[in-house]
Amino acid sequence: MEATTMNFTIEPVTSETVVIRIGKALDFRNAADFKAAAQTQVRAGIRSFILDFTDTGILDSTGLGSIFSLYRQVSPMNGQVVFASVSRPVQVVVQLTRTYKVFRQFSTVEAARKAVN
Amino acid sequence: MEITRQRFCRLDVVIDELHALFEEWEREDALLAHLDQQTVELLRLAVHEWIANLVQHADFAGRSPEVILDVYPNGRRVRCVIEDNSEGFPFPEQLYVQQEALAPLPERGMGLLMLNAATEYFEYSLTDDGMRRLEFTVSADKDSWLDIPFS
Repeated sequence: MEATTMNFTIEPVTSETVVIRIGKALDFRNAADFKAAAQTQVRAGIRSFILDFTDTGILDSTGLGSIFSLYRQVSPMNGQVVFASVSRPVQVVVQLTRTYKVFRQFSTVEAARKAVN
Repeated sequence: MEITRQRFCRLDVVIDELHALFEEWEREDALLAHLDQQTVELLRLAVHEWIANLVQHADFAGRSPEVILDVYPNGRRVRCVIEDNSEGFPFPEQLYVQQEALAPLPERGMGLLMLNAATEYFEYSLTDDGMRRLEFTVSADKDSWLDIPFS
């Protein structure tokens, strides 16, 4: 069952994996909401996060920082954070910061689901 | 596209207004007639980061906020000027502090560094009429990247 938290829609995939649809923006205005939503999932046992950027027009430094925070939290628990369906504005940030070295990218959410599980 | 000027007065909606403006330019191919998509997105990111910095940290000392954006496409680069009526920032010093303090996979402190990385040149000054002025260029020929420590 999907849950919408603030601007984010969270869809369970397995007991340890969710897809978070980022929506229009992940920036300084809602990064704290993202962090809180992700934190709730981690506490519930989620270790793998597929971030769906299909509709995302804005990813700024604060938004990226909140994703780093999630990655720092789950990676010691063998968790992972992957990017799916990366929009052009998000791809520019990924390239500028070279975070493709940290976050695997998949062309679709479906491809990410298959790879993660 | 001719030189364009936009004035923003409400900090609570300035980010939405800014991106709506870029989306309008995109629909009209206004910037793409001059620049490639990557350069337009870098410009958009740089402007966003600076205005986000104003929204979060600027002191307008009780004045009604005013932010003026000028964009001047010029060949394979675009020059951008953002003026505001805040008290301003010690910008070069803040940039140096952020560079020196950048932790692995940082949660905060990347904004000015991303602006710096996305731009070819920038200058921050006080105008004769008391406005704070950030001027920068974004170039299609610059290999832009920010060296973030990942471990």
